[in-house]
Amino acid sequence: MVKRKFKRGELLVENIIFLVLNVAFLAILVLFLINQGSGASALEDAYSKQVALTLDAGMPGTTILINFQSAKEVSDKNKIPFQDVLLIKDHYVTVKLSDKSGKSYQFFNDINVSTLRPEKDANGNFDGYYFIELRRKV
Amino acid sequence: MKINKKGDKLLSIYWFAILVIVATGVVIMVNVYYGSPYDVRQVESGILANHVANCIYFGGEVNPSLISSNGIFKEDFRDHFMNYCTLNFSVEGEFTQIPYYLEINFFKGIDSPTSVFNISEGNQNLKSDCGVDVQDKSKLSKCTSNSFFMKLNSNDVYFVKILAVVSKVNENTN
Repeated sequence: MVKRKFKRGELLVENIIFLVLNVAFLAILVLFLINQGSGASALEDAYSKQVALTLDAGMPGTTILINFQSAKEVSDKNKIPFQDVLLIKDHYVTVKLSDKSGKSYQFFNDINVSTLRPEKDANGNFDGYYFIELRRKV
Repeated sequence: MKINKKGDKLLSIYWFAILVIVATGVVIMVNVYYGSPYDVRQVESGILANHVANCIYFGGEVNPSLISSNGIFKEDFRDHFMNYCTLNFSVEGEFTQIPYYLEINFFKGIDSPTSVFNISEGNQNLKSDCGVDVQDKSKLSKCTSNSFFMKLNSNDVYFVKILAVVSKVNENTN
């Protein structure tokens, strides 16, 4: 008669615990990766540079609508008012998504940003877009 | 027959040690990747070069402030180039270097070796970064060179070479 190495119940419980721990580990890793990708710092860097390059390439008379919805999600989490997320002053674009961070990037186009406002939807809430109007400097 | 189960427990410890090592490695790699800023300088220098090109010669027409009707380049264009071409290189801070350099040369004809008119603005020290052959160029400025032929109403042809350089190393690299 051959003795079994393990009792049936022990084998199953051990394997289940092992699998659950592995799945938990992978889940934590994936969540960490997702969080890093949508972190405030990375988004601030990307948005400030995108807006600066858009302004560099812009010509007088251009109106630009920029999608800031991803940034709005992060700024809402960090309790930053959406109208304070994007600032354009003295040829610097500043994007701020949290109290502790913010990124500025210089642009060379000597153009007048005559209008810079966050867009609102029909209910008066910010919809995550910024409207920018460019005019020639007088 | 007794079965030694101590080996199973030892294996679990090694297994979790491996998991911790893998997790640490992934965290480090992700932080290195997302910790690096985007490097947009090459695109930016391209936009700068195009901006200047459009200022000088747009839609087949030469900027009338650049050259007079009898084909003479106007010094006033060189003196007020930044205003004419709506450029602003001012930086914040008293000791901050200008992160841009522009150089425009006009050559008469197709294969003239010397330029008849030239304009340069910005930080001249950045020009030496162009053409440097090293393995890691991330800390050097990014350069874009544009050239085109410019035909005047008098049928004179000039060869225009534009060099646009963008530094901004701190904002674009680690």
